[in-house]
Amino acid sequence: MIEIILLVSSVLFIFALKLFGRPSTAHRANTFAMLAMALAVFSAFNFGFSKYDSAFYITIVVSGLLGVLISKRVQMTQMPELVGLFNGFGGGASGAIAYVELSGSSLPISDVFVAIFSMVIGMFTFSGSLVAVMKLRGKLNNFSKKLADIFSVFLPTIIVIPAVLEMDDLLIEFIILVALVAGIIRVAVIGGADMPVVIAFLNSLSGIAAMSAGFIVNSIILIVAGALVGASGIILTLLMCAAMNRTLLDVLKGGFGGTAINNEYDKDPIITSPEDVAIQLSYAESVVIVPGYGMAVAQAQAAVKELTNTLKNKNIEVKFAIHPVAGRMPGHMNVLLAEVDIDYEDMFTLEDINSEFSSTDVVIVLGANDVVNPLARTDEDSPIYGMPILDVDLAKQVIVIKRSMSPGYAGIANPLFVNDNAKMLFADAKEGLENIIKSFELV
Amino acid sequence: MEATFLLTLLITFLASFIGYELISKIPQTLHTPLMSGSNAISGITLIAAILIYPEVGESQLLKIIVLIAIAFATLNIVGGFSVTGRILEMFKKND
Repeated sequence: MIEIILLVSSVLFIFALKLFGRPSTAHRANTFAMLAMALAVFSAFNFGFSKYDSAFYITIVVSGLLGVLISKRVQMTQMPELVGLFNGFGGGASGAIAYVELSGSSLPISDVFVAIFSMVIGMFTFSGSLVAVMKLRGKLNNFSKKLADIFSVFLPTIIVIPAVLEMDDLLIEFIILVALVAGIIRVAVIGGADMPVVIAFLNSLSGIAAMSAGFIVNSIILIVAGALVGASGIILTLLMCAAMNRTLLDVLKGGFGGTAINNEYDKDPIITSPEDVAIQLSYAESVVIVPGYGMAVAQAQAAVKELTNTLKNKNIEVKFAIHPVAGRMPGHMNVLLAEVDIDYEDMFTLEDINSEFSSTDVVIVLGANDVVNPLARTDEDSPIYGMPILDVDLAKQVIVIKRSMSPGYAGIANPLFVNDNAKMLFADAKEGLENIIKSFELV
Repeated sequence: MEATFLLTLLITFLASFIGYELISKIPQTLHTPLMSGSNAISGITLIAAILIYPEVGESQLLKIIVLIAIAFATLNIVGGFSVTGRILEMFKKND
């Protein structure tokens, strides 16, 4: 009976992944996955519900309610923090279980290794994710890179100690401590704009921790589901790294960006006004908007929607070009735009839209910087050289809405800003757009 | 015992392979709900907590640690699915 339930559950999980492949069917995928999860959890009880005391049931009910509350309250701009937090909880739960198994029962030696692995990955994910959340909330400054280097030398040594020495309780706790500290330091040195990679990587680790917990308790469904999460996280991690033309190791090493390397311009930018932008837009036939983290920070999504409506009412074609690493997590921009009812059919990936820029009348760069920096194509000495960028400089006219000429995350000047076909509108993303919309009423 | 372990490894491999194939096809636009959805699924470690909870014995400390694991995993499952549903609903109405 239990086997059949688990079989149905596994099949449902796989169907859910299949349905997730298209935005129109994805909401059904969520229902399938929920059903699969309910069946899997139900099967774990093996009809022995009376074996569990009230503390157990109270914990489930209270944390379940808390989960609902958090998920209803969270704003879409806070999704990176929420996913980061959940990565941490997932890792923490698997790590805690591995600890209990290690200190409670006498495991066979092969399981001891799996348990230590699960515990280390879980605890690392837990503390690393909490640091990631704090960084996303802007509450931490970069730790020194040196300290991180020392610990990354230490960590492998400490992992092999239990193989050499006889295990005792304190040793396990020592390993936990090291894993926690390593997680903190490793994530602390990584800069904000690398967060899409970090979040995806920690997501993968939380799956791997769950998978190895499955090996300890001999639960195939736990192994399967953990493997799926691990695979998903790895895919996203590699996609994000490819989108920055950097390796995962390079990202995890940290210390990238943060300081301005070169922010000199050999000429002055052309400064424009909301009125001019409105006039220019009203003569355009095609407009592409490139959103970046600045849009999320300024909460400018509603203004984006309003401008889109204004333009569409004038029969102007509006598209959105979304760089894979725009924002602080994979797909961040898409969710913010979907929230204000912008059709996902209008959102384009880098590969799909890059060939269109040369025939686009006006591109609006909204709070994005490095992902539209043409130096990535031309300057071999630039830290972003080789990174796939949105070729907005090829468009007939580029409007950059930005608060100042300050460099982006990579700390380098962006020659796009002083290009002959580019104009700067110095404003915060939301305020800039609102002023353009107001000017439209006067045009 | 050997054969069972190998079978488990085979299943793990197949699951990772299917997962890799299907997830690779998920468009960029859905990457955020994919992550929150996989957050929910990583809460499946609740199963391990349920399996070991009746067996922790007398130790109050270990019991509390398992309860913490249960709280984390349940939060992930319920919160993860709920917020993923909320996001996917936003994509649905554009259809």
